[in-house]
Amino acid sequence: MLVRPLLSPYAVRLAEFAPDRAAAIHRCADVLEDIGAVAPAYRTSMLDRERLMSTYLGECVAIPHGMDSRLVQRDALAVLRLPDGVDWAGSRVTMCVAIAARGDGHIEMLANLAAILLDPPRAAALRSAAAPEDVIRMLGETT
Amino acid sequence: MTGISGADVRKLVVACDAGMGSSVMLAGQLRRELRTTPVTVEHHPLNAIPADADVVLCQQGLADRASRAAPGAVVVGFRLFLGDPAVSAVVAALKQGGPVTGTVGG
Repeated sequence: MLVRPLLSPYAVRLAEFAPDRAAAIHRCADVLEDIGAVAPAYRTSMLDRERLMSTYLGECVAIPHGMDSRLVQRDALAVLRLPDGVDWAGSRVTMCVAIAARGDGHIEMLANLAAILLDPPRAAALRSAAAPEDVIRMLGETT
Repeated sequence: MTGISGADVRKLVVACDAGMGSSVMLAGQLRRELRTTPVTVEHHPLNAIPADADVVLCQQGLADRASRAAPGAVVVGFRLFLGDPAVSAVVAALKQGGPVTGTVGG
């Protein structure tokens, strides 16, 4: 049986471009749909969530996600780096970590993300990682 | 409730609207930071905060709703998911037994 990982190389996009926040969320939804993680209606739920309250995390990172876990087909993350940056309601975002989750399987990876972002050398390494596998390795390391 | 001693806290809840993103991340971070203490860290939607929660952390904009939803808990609002001083103060109090003061209605 093929066990699909929470974050696969195909879901790590190192050089995306989006003119604005909504477009960035659409790209995140595209990837989550593409890897079979969410139903098409999840896209709307992601946009609704963003309107309700920004998913901006800090350190130029946003974590877009929907509000209706019934639209999640399997737990998965997607990482989209946006080298040109996107205005996120006044903050600049250069990386989106999009979330599709029904359970708590992603909690470790998100906790790792937070720890990395609070550690400048590791944050810089994450931002400049040259291959999707490097991003996956960094986010998967338990500290 | 307006305050509690960190030494008396057994359950810390990170409360949110949806429960998939930032609150999950913060709960994961706090669970790691508090693993040497007897404090249990959980995350729940605002309308499902358990009655035995001693301290509730939530985004500042949700603090009023959280204190209505959990009248028996000390509610602490924060602004930043990464490195918020209010969250750091709660962690320090839980580790060292200092006071945790609510940010609502005070």
